[in-house]
Amino acid sequence: MQEIVIDCLGEACPVPLVKAQNKLKEMNIGDILICQIDHSCAMKNLPEWARTDGHNVEVDEVDDGEWEVVIEKVK
Amino acid sequence: MPREKKVEHYDVVIIGGGAAGLTAGIYAGRARLKTLLIEKALVGGLATYTNEIENYPGFPNTPKGEEITNLMKEQAKKMGVTFKLTDVKSVDLLGDEKVVETFRNKYIAKSVILATGSKNRITNAENEEKFLFDKGISFCATCDAAANTDKTVVVIGSGDAAIEEGMFLTKFAKKVIVSVMHHEGKMDCNEIAKEAALKNPKMEFIWDTTVARFEGDDYLEKVVLKNIKTGEEIPVPCDNCFEFIGYIPNTDIIKDQVRLTGHGYIITNEKMESNIPGVFAAGDVRDKWLRQVSTAVGDGAIAGYAAEKYIAESEIFHEVIMQKEKPGLTFIYNAVDAGSREFLLEIEKIQNHFEGRVIVNRVDIYKSSGIADRLNVSAFPALVLTRQGKVIERIIGTIDSKKLNDKLDKICAECHEFNS
Repeated sequence: MQEIVIDCLGEACPVPLVKAQNKLKEMNIGDILICQIDHSCAMKNLPEWARTDGHNVEVDEVDDGEWEVVIEKVK
Repeated sequence: MPREKKVEHYDVVIIGGGAAGLTAGIYAGRARLKTLLIEKALVGGLATYTNEIENYPGFPNTPKGEEITNLMKEQAKKMGVTFKLTDVKSVDLLGDEKVVETFRNKYIAKSVILATGSKNRITNAENEEKFLFDKGISFCATCDAAANTDKTVVVIGSGDAAIEEGMFLTKFAKKVIVSVMHHEGKMDCNEIAKEAALKNPKMEFIWDTTVARFEGDDYLEKVVLKNIKTGEEIPVPCDNCFEFIGYIPNTDIIKDQVRLTGHGYIITNEKMESNIPGVFAAGDVRDKWLRQVSTAVGDGAIAGYAAEKYIAESEIFHEVIMQKEKPGLTFIYNAVDAGSREFLLEIEKIQNHFEGRVIVNRVDIYKSSGIADRLNVSAFPALVLTRQGKVIERIIGTIDSKKLNDKLDKICAECHEFNS
């Protein structure tokens, strides 16, 4: 099981979502992707997209206005 | 192999971090309840999708929705509310202990407040799934407006959200084409927005239309509208499409447990109580007339307060009223009723007479009928006799003191026999 971190700090929509989608494609089932974001717009589409796609998602608010979206690839 | 879920106990679990959930958190936290708020995405809820809020009292500067909800969040944190950002996978609300499960945790709570809000309604037109979110169909002008600078966008809908967000988009896009399902000149939004929109030179309206399908290779290129009167198809080339055609309540995970309306909204009374004791609802997910940040705040305040009362009453009920050590006599009365008050003197005599043998309690239902409800008593005054934590008799109305004395003597004698 691998854990991959992508830095999307400073990036506005839809960049974080697209980055996460591309990275997730390369990963294996069971791997964890951690997307670091600081634009709240990504909090509105990234977790929802990942869940709709069937993965497990949890978010940590690491600081005010800064989050880590943790995606466990399920399929 | 699935991991063992971590179990945590809370007084209150609030599901949903919009204005309603945050306010419920502020009230519950302030009442010193151990409170957890679970939000699946961005704390702030639907309000964060609004670029300008003009009618939330106390904010005359027309702030972004997120500014208001961020302050609410700060306040909830100050009150000691714990936040968890994940989605709820399942709930079991029916027992005294409510269970809320996420993919890694199992939370056990005395009370649950459902503030799950609603999600965007979609058109269900052909190919829609293919373009949702990042492929050309958006639900958030605030999020995606800047990416549409000098572009052509289509807005579906004519309610307040559609027209107000559409006008916001004209600050960036070169053209905003609005598909309205009504006849020319009729919109669902407020009159002020309508007037401004019709005057806006960047806005164009296509009346009597709904979406037939979405077209494009990898990314949306064209929205094909259909005139609902003539059946004529109108292809509209565009860069992005925004859908604002209303909302549907987020009640999937609770629909088999909580009573809902035909449209899926949670039915509550004015105390925000659902049909399940200890389960409350607040905000947009509730069946109500007006869905606004301000009404969500009102609901949240009531739900947080009601949860506190429910928990306090539960403790009194289990530990005091239904105590198991001695036979119990509970007098339930309404303090505004003179007859009931007079009988209080008799109760005091009985209490003195049976001191050490019978535990006597008095419950005033004037402010809350919660304990009476738990004892299945709906007419007052009433007397409830218990033994070993079980109700053995309910007497509605007052009773002759002599008879009551005899009854209690008998119960005490039985208890004595039982114990020896």
